Amino acid sequence: MHVDMNAFFASVEQAANPELRGKPIAVVGGHGRTVITTSSYEARAKGVKTGMAIWEGKRTCPELIIVVGDNKKYTHTSTRINEIFRDYTPEVEAFSIDESWLDVTHSLSIFGTAENIAYQIKARIKHLFGITCSIGVAPNKLLAKLASDMQKPDGLTVITPENVPRTLEQMPIKELCGIGKKMQRHLNTMSIYTCGELGRCDENRLTRKFGIIGTRLKEMGQGIDNTPVVQFGKEDDVKSVGHSRTLERDIDDPAEIRRFLLQLSEMVGSRARRYNVSGKTIHLYVRYADFFSSWGKQTTLKSYINLSDEIYRAALGILNIVELGQPVRLLGITLSNLKHQAEQLPLFEDERKKLFATQAMDSINDRFGRMSVTFGSLLPGKEKAGSHVIPPSWRPDGVKNIDVQ
Amino acid sequence: MIINSMRVAVIFGPGRTIKPVWFDWHNRKHTILETTYTWIDMKGNAKRLHFAVRDEGCLYELTYDSAEQTWELSGLEGG
Repeated sequence: MHVDMNAFFASVEQAANPELRGKPIAVVGGHGRTVITTSSYEARAKGVKTGMAIWEGKRTCPELIIVVGDNKKYTHTSTRINEIFRDYTPEVEAFSIDESWLDVTHSLSIFGTAENIAYQIKARIKHLFGITCSIGVAPNKLLAKLASDMQKPDGLTVITPENVPRTLEQMPIKELCGIGKKMQRHLNTMSIYTCGELGRCDENRLTRKFGIIGTRLKEMGQGIDNTPVVQFGKEDDVKSVGHSRTLERDIDDPAEIRRFLLQLSEMVGSRARRYNVSGKTIHLYVRYADFFSSWGKQTTLKSYINLSDEIYRAALGILNIVELGQPVRLLGITLSNLKHQAEQLPLFEDERKKLFATQAMDSINDRFGRMSVTFGSLLPGKEKAGSHVIPPSWRPDGVKNIDVQ
Repeated sequence: MIINSMRVAVIFGPGRTIKPVWFDWHNRKHTILETTYTWIDMKGNAKRLHFAVRDEGCLYELTYDSAEQTWELSGLEGG
């Protein structure tokens, strides 16, 4: 079963504020930035799309109401909704903040049918939060996601095993999760436009063109997907810890860029320390003011690190060898090549002092809130937080449960 | 935040539910007609309960800090 919350952020805002109900609204990430994160169905009906600038949205729909998003509201709601899912099955996989898969195979003896579970989930979400979702029920994850997309908003679509070939025959390939625009173009050049055509295509032809994923593509066209629903706590170990931020305004002052880099290093470092991981590779990502040009570079160190100042120095080392071509719009730091470790006490006095100071800082911040104690150069007023966007990797639990503002 | 300490009357119901019924603001008692949305966040290890509520004219966000045991008016729209 796949559950997709309909226009999630916009629906939550409409539920919280009766004045917004039934009106075209667009949710934006923060006061300083102008890109539409999501919009209500009323706005979508008038042509407003995710990713549009506010001025474009207003031009498309002059009565559009702009709402600054409240991420805490969305993460709380998503977490509660995932708790509801777990009343029906422990096998729940959060795909993003507004999408989850449930394997209800072993719950049918208690709840009867998957449709019955779907109706109960829809009713509880509507009752508790006043918002709707679309649910797809099918034999596997690929088809369940396809089914949930077939009826929006507030839909329930069931694809039974015997209906799979008929459903897929005329279905455009772009509707399959995992086939993006680029892949669609490649397949179109092979005269493959529908899932039916993809499923019938000679496997050798696909593997010649796409390598090992050719086999997977053919299976997708046939509606075959054996990937399991991976429940909370049973995911593979995380491969990296990272944060990125769009700045409140484009900046070119090196001191300001460094300050921002330190803030990101502290965010990455504190999360890595909380989950007891350290890494050897630091990746710095910079997106320029024109939105389209960007670069990313990485460095691998001799030893594993997770202290914020060490991450900062490594990231700064990368920044210093690059001449910035334009003002900076977005900065990101990722720590990878991770070791899930037991903590080791440093041998030298200075290193030990630094570790104890960091631990003291972390425990104060855990108790009183993020950035209660921080570096002097990040004191309130100097920090330009930028817009806060919930990353696609956000999850209700674990290391990916990022504390978004 | 608009006010960081205010008087709020609430009903503690069964199932650990909290329902704000009125609050004092601008020397006036505001009767809550509807709680439109509730959510929780954490500030450090202190749980903060947020209530979007409306009276006859406006929409307010009331926040209860469970560690400090204080109420604040964190947001206001309309009016």
